[in-house]
Amino acid sequence: MNDKIKPAHQVGPVSAFFIPQVMQIGIGYLSFQQIITKYSQQDAWLASLISGALSLGILWVVLRLLENERQFGMPDLFSIHTRIFGRRIGTILNLFTVTHVLLFAIRSLRSYIEIVHVWVFPQMSMFLFSLIFCLIAWYIVSGGMRTIAGVCLLSFIYLVPLSILTLFIVPHAQFENLLPLIDHSPAALLKSCYELTHVYLGFELLLYVYPFISNPREARKWAFRSALTTVYFYTTTLILAIAYFSQGELQNTIWPTVAYWKSVRFPLVEHIDIIAIVLLLWATIPKVCLCSWIIARAVKFTVPKIKMKYSLIVILALFIAGTTMIRTGLLVKQLNVAYTRYGALIIYIYLPILLFCQWIKKKRGRSAAS
Amino acid sequence: MKQKAALIAPLIALLLLSGCLPTSIIDDVLLVEAEGIDYLGDGKVMGTVSMPNYAANPNPGSGGAGLPTTASMLRHLSGVTYDGKSLVDRFQPSGQMPLRVGKLRLMLFNTAMAKKGLYKQIDLRNRDPDAPRDMSLAVVEGSCRKMLTSADYQTQIPVARYIQDMIEQNSEHNYPESTLETFMYAYYGDYMDPFLPIIRKQGDHIEMYGLALFKGDKYVMRLSENRVFTFKMLFQKFSQGVYDYEFAPNKHIALKNVHTNVNYKVKNGNSSSPDIYASVNVRAQIRQANPGSISKSTGPGMEKKLNKHMAKEAVQLVHRFQRKRIDPLQLGQHVRSYTRNFDGKSWPERYPNARFHCKVDVTIRQTGISE
Repeated sequence: MNDKIKPAHQVGPVSAFFIPQVMQIGIGYLSFQQIITKYSQQDAWLASLISGALSLGILWVVLRLLENERQFGMPDLFSIHTRIFGRRIGTILNLFTVTHVLLFAIRSLRSYIEIVHVWVFPQMSMFLFSLIFCLIAWYIVSGGMRTIAGVCLLSFIYLVPLSILTLFIVPHAQFENLLPLIDHSPAALLKSCYELTHVYLGFELLLYVYPFISNPREARKWAFRSALTTVYFYTTTLILAIAYFSQGELQNTIWPTVAYWKSVRFPLVEHIDIIAIVLLLWATIPKVCLCSWIIARAVKFTVPKIKMKYSLIVILALFIAGTTMIRTGLLVKQLNVAYTRYGALIIYIYLPILLFCQWIKKKRGRSAAS
Repeated sequence: MKQKAALIAPLIALLLLSGCLPTSIIDDVLLVEAEGIDYLGDGKVMGTVSMPNYAANPNPGSGGAGLPTTASMLRHLSGVTYDGKSLVDRFQPSGQMPLRVGKLRLMLFNTAMAKKGLYKQIDLRNRDPDAPRDMSLAVVEGSCRKMLTSADYQTQIPVARYIQDMIEQNSEHNYPESTLETFMYAYYGDYMDPFLPIIRKQGDHIEMYGLALFKGDKYVMRLSENRVFTFKMLFQKFSQGVYDYEFAPNKHIALKNVHTNVNYKVKNGNSSSPDIYASVNVRAQIRQANPGSISKSTGPGMEKKLNKHMAKEAVQLVHRFQRKRIDPLQLGQHVRSYTRNFDGKSWPERYPNARFHCKVDVTIRQTGISE
């Protein structure tokens, strides 16, 4: 298992830009404004900046972890776990982090289905949709990491028009709404930061993908650029939302982004919101693909006998089952809450601790050797 | 890989075909373009929906495709229901095709309905994913049903589009912009109240008839046509408005503003009587003047008079709002923006005591092509 990845299976360093970017931007983009402004009203953009800065910090931790690991073999989270904690505990920890990946996939898929149900096709069958969706995912993942990275790139390109759509609300924005600046307590801001965690989550998947990216020195730079772009993207969207909605209205709107798509009108194309939601399918495909690929790799890592193409089918079946079981909007909301908590636990607490453990291990190893 | 693709392609096709969903094909639905709601009392309303009617002109090339173009579709439906009922659902039993609100452009309420309160209607529209947010709302002096169902208009285009064009057109001139979007902004927002244009039917046409000012969701006050310019001047920056000034009995000049902007400053926002300073800049052209009343040399004098007059009007306007305890100009929002730790709870009590100062600066750029 611990042999190096062949260059033929690796992707270029620019993928370190597209992959985390596409993982981060998704369905959360439609609704994050409401939850965040609940605590810090017009100062929520500040929370977004803080949260973004934190995500950059955690990205540094992630890259540090991986780079320290390079000399011992494969630079990914599974190897780190087993090397530091031994085979048994390492496997348990792998399970712990992979559960989050599973949650990430199911939550992305289910949230997307929810949006389609609410805005476009209330009658759409969840089972059939997720089945077709997972077939597509299966087809892509069968192509290997390079295909997944390609889909991430496509997804990024397809989603650019959506960010341009946001510009249409600038003439209606009342930037006075942003005043007075910084009028909230640090506690309120931190609460907002925590609520923002789920939109910034996703970049930590680099922990699993990293060995497949060639030229790590360049890749690291691209990873940071990716995180910065996300911060810019979310912060500007948030500022526009605060300026465009009054606070009371924002608290009343579950999907503020779709609400302002709803007010964009072109002479020939009505209902941009529906087109945009359909386009958002492309934000979900790479997530499900990458997550199923990661889980399949985890299975292979733990039980090398099982081939990835077989475990993949089971994993996708699990996605379909998980998605179909979550029947109501309330459950989707609870799933999102659980996902945010789990994710915050992993990135803010677990990863720094892991880095610390790695450091201890290094110290011990050195003192044992001398 | 190729084999696999060949294997799953029919499978996907099968699934896609079995996953058919109800569609809304534009030829096979009734696109509701306007809804009118007249209050009857006791929670009952008379609802009217209006659909476009693509008929009357025989199309020689229509062949046998679907509907003959000469066939008339339903043009409007009305009936009694309760307040807050979705009219599309109410009238579906009488629809020859599915009714859809995806292109709803106009919602009308008669004055009784507006006085009773629109919160159920606004909640309905806010909850509805299908209806667009940029539709126009208006209060109708008279009956919405009559307005939407009359056939005696001069224009041949569907009445819903006629009214919406009129409202949109006027919101580029004297009337402030008002759509569902702005109404919800002010209705759900704190420290502000919404407003809507009032329209009425005059014989064979429809006209704008001032602004309906709301307190929360209830219509409480009408702003007459000649005050609308002052209102808009304090509300947003705009151009193309026309202001008529009677500087002496029966002697008028009319300004067409090229550009107007307004700036607010607030002092003592948390005291019992906050000071609100509005400074308005009007750059204007003279459109019409009493003969001999204005030329390039007498311009500055007229500007001064105008400054004073418009500022006085603005202050009077705000005093009227304060007496009614309504805030359609969103002054509370300005105070909130310029006050740290704004005390929002006591604002409704403090608002009537707020001191409003207005400074208007008119610049007459041109007086026309004759001396």
